[in-house]
Amino acid sequence: MKYLTSDPASEPSSILYTRCTVDLKYGKISQQDVPCRNLEDVLGGFGRSFQILAERNISHAYSEENPLIVNTGLLTGSSAMTGLRTYFSGYSPLKESKKGLPAAMWSTGSGNFGAKFKWAGLDELIFEGRSATPVYALIKESPEGAVVELKPADHLLGLSTHDKMMVLQQEYGSNAHFATIGQAGEQWENVYFGAVGLSTDNQLKSGEDKMRFAGRGGMGSLMGYKNLLALVAQSSDKIKALTPEVKAVNINVVKGGGAARLQPISRGGGGGTWAAYDVLQAFHAVPVNNFRPQGNDLPEQLFRTRVEKEYVIKSEACYRCGITCHNNIHEKKDDGSAGRFLAKFDYEPLNLLGTNIGIHDAGQAARLIHLSDNCGMDSISLGVTVSYVLSYNERHPDKPLLNGATFGDFARIEDLIIQAGHGKLPEIGRGSKRLSESTGETSYAYHVKGLELPAYQPETNPGYAWAIAGGHMSMATYGMLTREGKSDMESWVQGITQTKLQIVGFDMIGLCKFFDITKGICTQMVVDCLKSELNLDVTTEALAASVHRAFLRGLALELRQGYEKEEYTLPAEVWERANTNIKLPNITSPEFIAELQKRVWEIFDPQLAGLAA
Amino acid sequence: MNVTVKLIGVFQIGRFKEAVCEYPIGTSVRKVVDELLIPDPLLGIVLINDIHAGVEDLLHEGDTLCLLPFIDGG
Repeated sequence: MKYLTSDPASEPSSILYTRCTVDLKYGKISQQDVPCRNLEDVLGGFGRSFQILAERNISHAYSEENPLIVNTGLLTGSSAMTGLRTYFSGYSPLKESKKGLPAAMWSTGSGNFGAKFKWAGLDELIFEGRSATPVYALIKESPEGAVVELKPADHLLGLSTHDKMMVLQQEYGSNAHFATIGQAGEQWENVYFGAVGLSTDNQLKSGEDKMRFAGRGGMGSLMGYKNLLALVAQSSDKIKALTPEVKAVNINVVKGGGAARLQPISRGGGGGTWAAYDVLQAFHAVPVNNFRPQGNDLPEQLFRTRVEKEYVIKSEACYRCGITCHNNIHEKKDDGSAGRFLAKFDYEPLNLLGTNIGIHDAGQAARLIHLSDNCGMDSISLGVTVSYVLSYNERHPDKPLLNGATFGDFARIEDLIIQAGHGKLPEIGRGSKRLSESTGETSYAYHVKGLELPAYQPETNPGYAWAIAGGHMSMATYGMLTREGKSDMESWVQGITQTKLQIVGFDMIGLCKFFDITKGICTQMVVDCLKSELNLDVTTEALAASVHRAFLRGLALELRQGYEKEEYTLPAEVWERANTNIKLPNITSPEFIAELQKRVWEIFDPQLAGLAA
Repeated sequence: MNVTVKLIGVFQIGRFKEAVCEYPIGTSVRKVVDELLIPDPLLGIVLINDIHAGVEDLLHEGDTLCLLPFIDGG
C-alpha cells in the first residue's frame, strides 16, 4: 500500500492499495494502484471486498461474473501479533436466500500465506472468469513489485490440500507459502463447501498436514469452479523491527486476558478452544447428536483430560504467534513420545465431527477431521450436514438416506465423508439447507440463512440470525448467555445491533480474533499498532464506526440478494421440541424471537436506509 | 459457613473437582478465587447456585459456587 496521508479516516483516497486483476479466461493480468474510498477500504479484508461484490449483480455463484477476491488486511504481515490473515470473498455456492440467490461471503485463515502475499507486494488479487484448464497462480516479489503468473496445474489435480502444498514446496522452496483446494473443491459441482487450505511454517518443516483453513462459505468450491487449484506466494520475509509500542501490545495480547485462556495449559493458560467442552458441559450445552444435548456425561469422553491419557497433545502456533492455540493430536508411542500426527483438535471440528455425530472416540474423531481437512471441506458445514443425515435416519429407520448411517456408526459415517469429499454425494456436498428441502423435513437442519451453525447450541444464541457470514465469526453473541448470563431483551438487542457485531473488525484489519476477542479492533492496542507500524492516526471511535458500516453493508447485501426478514431466525426444532436438558434460561421461545426480530430491525432498518448495497 | 465449590476444566489441575469448604461468614467469591490461586485472566464464569454471579458477590451457608474458565471461538 502507499500512504500519502496519516489520516485515513478523513483522507482515504490518499491511501492506495495494489490490486492485481487476473482474467482466467484469456490469461490477461493487470495491476493498478487503487485509491481507497473510505476507512473500510483502508482496513481491508471483507470491508473492501464486500464493496466490490456489491457492485456486481450475481444470480448464480457458479458464473463467470462472480469474482474471487483474495486480499489481506492493513496489519497482515506486520509485526503485530496474529497479523497473518488472508481473506477469500465471493458470492457463495453454499449460502443462499430462499429466493435462490447466492449470498456474498468471506472466509479467512492464518498460516503463513497471507504475510508472504503482502510481502510479495500485493494487497488484493481478483480472479475474474474461469480458466479452461487447471491452473495455479504464482505471486512473487520483484524489484518492481509483485509479479503474478498463471501456471499449468494438471499435476495437482486429484491431490489433497496438503499434498498439493508438498508438491509446490518442492518447486518453490522455503520462501513460498500456499493456498490450495482439495478434491472437494475440484468437485465443485457436487461440493458447495470446499475450503481453502493455508500452509503453515510447522507444516512445511515437518511434512505433517498441519494446515489452517479459510473454511466457511465454499470459497474453495469457487476456486474449483474457476479451475484455480492453488495460489503460491513467494517472497523473502519482510518483518519490521519491533517498536516498543508494538512490543508492548504483543506482550499484552499474549499475557493479557485476551489470549491467556488460549495459551497451552503447560504455560498456565486455558488450553485453546478445546476448553469450551468443559465449560459448555457444565450447562449441558455441548452439541450432541445433531444439536440435541441429552443431559448426560457423553461429551466428557472427548474432554482433554480423557484424550491425553491415550494420545500426545502438542500445543503449537501459527508463524511467530505467541498465542499457541493449536492442539495437534499425535499417536502415543510406548515411551510416551509423540508418534504419527493424526489431526488438530479445534473445538468446532472436534465437536461437529465428533460428539455431535455420536462419535465419542478421539481416534475416530481425528480420522474424520483428517479426511475433512485433506479433502478440503469446511468441517462445520460437513459435520452439520452429516448430522442432519443421521438425524433423518434415526427418524426413518425403514427408509434411511444414503448408506443408512446412524449416530456413532463410524464406518458408515467415514464412508459418507470420503464419498462426499470426492464429489460422489451431492446430497451431503450441497449442504443441509438443500438436503432438508429435498426431504421436506427442515426443522432440524441446523443452518441459518443457508450456512450451517458452529458448535454452540442455537438455544444459547439467537444472535445467529443476524450473522452476516459464519455464525460465530461474524456475530459474537455466542457467549452472551453462557459466559455473561444475559437473558434480557435489552442486552440481546444491544449486543446484536451494537457491541457484538464489532467482531467482524478482525476480518477487515488482518488480525486473528484471538488478538482481543471480547473488545474487537476499536481499542488503544490497535490504534498504537497502526501508529507505530504505519504512521496512521486513527481513533477508536473511527474504527468502531467503520466496522459498523462494514457490517451494515453486509446486511444490506443479504437483503439485496433476496433474504426476507422471516429468514433471520433459528432452526424451528429449537422451539418445536424445546430441549429442557440445557441448564440455561430459555431465550429462544417464539415470543422472545418475535420481539427480538422486531426490536433489532427497528434499529437496523433506518441505518440500512442510507447504505446502497 | 460451608460452601460447595465446583471447579471446571483447567481449574481442577492441582486443585479439586468438587469440595465442601468452610469459610467465614461474609466471604466473597473474590476471596475464594484468590485463595485457590485462580489467575484472573482465566476466570470466565462465576455461578452461585447455577445463577451467573460476580466476583464481588458474597457467599452464604449452603451455596454452591462454580468457577469456570472462559470459552472463545472455535
